[in-house]
Amino acid sequence: MPAVSRYHPDVADPDDEPAVETAARRRAGLVRRVLNDPRDVGEHPDYRFTLANERTFLAWIRTALALAAGGLGIVSFIDNLYGKELLGLVLLGLSFVTSATSYRRWAANERSMRLDEPLPTSWLPLVIAVGTGVIGIAAAIFFAATEF
Amino acid sequence: MSDADGYHGVADPGLQQERTALAWERTAISSMAAGILLARFAAANAHPTLSAVGVIQSIIGAVVLVWAGLHYDDLHLPIRSGRSVVHPSAARLLGLSTVVFSGFAFVFALIVISDG
Repeated sequence: MPAVSRYHPDVADPDDEPAVETAARRRAGLVRRVLNDPRDVGEHPDYRFTLANERTFLAWIRTALALAAGGLGIVSFIDNLYGKELLGLVLLGLSFVTSATSYRRWAANERSMRLDEPLPTSWLPLVIAVGTGVIGIAAAIFFAATEF
Repeated sequence: MSDADGYHGVADPGLQQERTALAWERTAISSMAAGILLARFAAANAHPTLSAVGVIQSIIGAVVLVWAGLHYDDLHLPIRSGRSVVHPSAARLLGLSTVVFSGFAFVFALIVISDG
């Protein structure tokens, strides 16, 4: 296995770093923690799992974008709907929560796979499922309230 | 090609890398579409700063789209030789830009609502 990354030949692969503590290395460690790089721990899992985790992350990002598009559409497009402000803000709030947690969830999954541990559980699927369900029912009620 | 070079008969039976590249591209196109939506609505409501956020989001989407197309051709060798295929930088860029985007979209909605 070569000692340098294929994509960044001038950067040593994190897995090959010797365990010597220097000031520069500690600073790099701090940057690592802030950036939350899962390559700090464990060993490369099967590439299929890494790529599946990446696709899951991307699916969450698309979910966030779709919720944002829905929220923007309701607030901007639709006239004369009772409660449209509430619907739009809840959709945009869900979008923010989804996108704000997506990178951390991806990194936590990657970390667990590298350490051969069970994947962390997440409450977000429940929040999104209940949230979109409630929004759907609320939208139907608001449409009815506007109509009659 | 032989096993000694890290090559095998079937390169990737699940087409993992192609599916992942397509997922990146779908997400990039979604970013562009959502960015254009915010740019359009903010411009219609005379909020040029928020409109610029939408434009930047769709530019980031375009960059990620091109990056995904170029990058995934390069993944064959790392996959076959057992190297890491993880790229947190792209995930960070997309995660961060989506958070910023949805935050500004929320602000835009608040402004539109308070404008009546």
